[in-house]
Amino acid sequence: MFKLSEYSFLAGVITVALAFGCYLLAFMSVAVTRRRSSFAGAGAGGGNISIGAEAGGTGLGTYGTLFTYLALTFLTAALIFRALATGHGPFANMYEFSIAFAWGTLAMFAYFEHRYHQRVLGLIALPIALALLLYATTVPAQFDPLVPALQNNLLLSVHVAVAIVAYGTFAVAFAAAVLYLLQTDAGRRGLPRRELLDEISYKAVMIGFPFLTLTIVLGAVWANVAWGRYWGWDPKETASLVTWLIYGAYLHARVVRGWRGERAAYLLLLGFTAVLFTYFGNLFFGGLHSYSGLNGN
Amino acid sequence: MTETTRSTNLSQPIDDLDGAVVSPSDIGERLWRFFISMRTGLALILALVVLGLIGTLLVQAPVGLQADAQAYAAWIDSVRPKYGGWTGAFDMLGLFSVFNSIWFRGITVLLMTSVLACSVNRAPHLWKQATKPRTRMSDAFFDHAPLALATTTAARPEAAAEAVAATLRGRRFRTLVEGAGDTINVYADKNRWGPFGTVVAHLSLVVILTGALIGTAFGFRNEGLAVAVGSTADVGNETGLTVEARRFVDSYYPNGSPSDYASDLIVYRDGREVGAATVRVNEPMTVDGVTFYQSFFGPAASIRITGQDGDVVFDQGVPLQFGYGDGSRVAGQIVLADAGLTAYVVAPASGEVDPAIRPGQVQFEVYETATMADPVAVQTLSQGQAADVAGLDVTFVREHQYTGLIVARDPGAPFIWLGCFLLIAGTAVVFFFPSRRVWALVRPDRAGTSTVQVAAIVRHDVGFGAEFERMGEEIRVTIKSPPADEGKGTV
Repeated sequence: MFKLSEYSFLAGVITVALAFGCYLLAFMSVAVTRRRSSFAGAGAGGGNISIGAEAGGTGLGTYGTLFTYLALTFLTAALIFRALATGHGPFANMYEFSIAFAWGTLAMFAYFEHRYHQRVLGLIALPIALALLLYATTVPAQFDPLVPALQNNLLLSVHVAVAIVAYGTFAVAFAAAVLYLLQTDAGRRGLPRRELLDEISYKAVMIGFPFLTLTIVLGAVWANVAWGRYWGWDPKETASLVTWLIYGAYLHARVVRGWRGERAAYLLLLGFTAVLFTYFGNLFFGGLHSYSGLNGN
Repeated sequence: MTETTRSTNLSQPIDDLDGAVVSPSDIGERLWRFFISMRTGLALILALVVLGLIGTLLVQAPVGLQADAQAYAAWIDSVRPKYGGWTGAFDMLGLFSVFNSIWFRGITVLLMTSVLACSVNRAPHLWKQATKPRTRMSDAFFDHAPLALATTTAARPEAAAEAVAATLRGRRFRTLVEGAGDTINVYADKNRWGPFGTVVAHLSLVVILTGALIGTAFGFRNEGLAVAVGSTADVGNETGLTVEARRFVDSYYPNGSPSDYASDLIVYRDGREVGAATVRVNEPMTVDGVTFYQSFFGPAASIRITGQDGDVVFDQGVPLQFGYGDGSRVAGQIVLADAGLTAYVVAPASGEVDPAIRPGQVQFEVYETATMADPVAVQTLSQGQAADVAGLDVTFVREHQYTGLIVARDPGAPFIWLGCFLLIAGTAVVFFFPSRRVWALVRPDRAGTSTVQVAAIVRHDVGFGAEFERMGEEIRVTIKSPPADEGKGTV
């Protein structure tokens, strides 16, 4: 089972890299084609392109999407085999978290790609997934039995699984926000319209925010069962609250004059930074969430 | 934007605060506007973000340490090397206990006030929108709404209006059709109670905070109740409960990491058993609202003390739960109130080799409780041996373990869970059941056909644009061939 999990994981890493490569080439060839033909702006105002639907990128973009689905399948298999081998949700150390986080990012990217046909999001989202997977190869993959505090299979699985969905959607919101900031109001060729990017970000946060809320609440439930309090300002708790507040601020900022648009997009960058900070936090701020498997013995 | 959107838009910045004369009602009005402004809410959230970041980045003092000035000063000195010259300033600003600081409390109170004010301000609008929606809109609205379509049909207005309404009903909208002469208004809405999810989600925060305050005011939490195996300990805090540890087992995996900590506990009230369970990490026991959690463990020494008259004055396990001296030793305390004496049972800490106290021995130190100055007597006891220490006949019966429990009662917890439920339910309703409203206007035109105008507003309602387009297509198709039996209206 461990071997199967490991092979699936490696196949996942390779396919994510291939998917990213396809998107990158498709995007570059589209850009080149566009530069060559002055009237290539098929989408009015230079917006709304989808890689692969363009002359130069036909095929490549489609392959990118196929590789994304394939990578998702491999990583799903890796996580399932891992769960079967360990007997608990594959969320108990940094190796497992990282694969799960990458999986969440890929899954949410695939969902939004399917829904909005904006493969260009993959140029940001896939490197995030790839970086997480490469990070996973650097941390110990061995399986240690669960310490008593983690021995709550239901909460372990649900608390982290819900967090993974939230983090994945925030990665997509981040990707759209980066493109939003690269895009201009007038519309830069090759990038989606700003309104569309704003819509994608908002839609992603609409899914991610309730899931993050649920993550924190489940964490409080678990803390109450295991540590006898629902909240204790443990660094990880605090960091996740900060993340929640930032996305809460974003939801409000989006309807406040003067905060719409760029400032809201910057809040999304800040929010995803907070996600990463919360995620990697247990490596440097200790506290009760120190289950990374990297703390020796 | 139209009249309607303006009246429901709470995000208007408040910037007309420059009245010349200030009367009390002016101040009230200004305060009200300040608190219902979403800009205020946003600023307060961001301020909490900053405090939260400080709380994660700066080392925080242990909770309750500030009550002990000496210990707190020692703690400040321990972080001084890390923060250097900033230490004093950070301390003065309360940044080492951010979440107890005036900043954090003040902003939380302001934010909750803002949340309440916004909810109170908003609820009547939402109520009206859900129960008595505005069914007719002006011509200008149909011309300029963000989502709008116009089309003509050969059908008569009533039939066309019914066709529009039927299409909307097919998309699970509720429809209200009103006619005035030949002009027919169609109003349709979906998830009209959805916006109350926002109110529920915001008020849930107040419920959660209320729970936290109730817990702080009326609950208690003892993080360090050590009970030696075979002994009992008072829970205290006016619970009237005592807890006995019958057994404690710590188990390990082959690689040395812990696999299980389990305590067999019995809880008594007035000597009567009221609860018994094996308590583990993740498996607490609750008796009469008081919850017992497995938290830590350590060594204990079973001590029997007999007074000069032969009465047994003490016969219990003593948890050696305190660090002693330079930390290479651990100690437990026995208070003999009648004799006015306090004794310490001292043993080497786990893994330490102590030349004075060999394995199987403890050191017994007796002090005058009144002075706690130099010990009256110090003696090393071997297991199973009785010895005379300061006139007491003391026996170190055997080595044991103690189990460390967290004992807590939190009457605020139900509010917390209710608030959490409302928070999740509220946000889920807002985001997954968005409220949508559509208006249509049907009137005859000179050519003997009917003009149909359909319009909707998009207020941060993502995804409705696409649905509106599909709906428009459907309406165009439907009104070309309205249901036959609906076409009998008179002109």
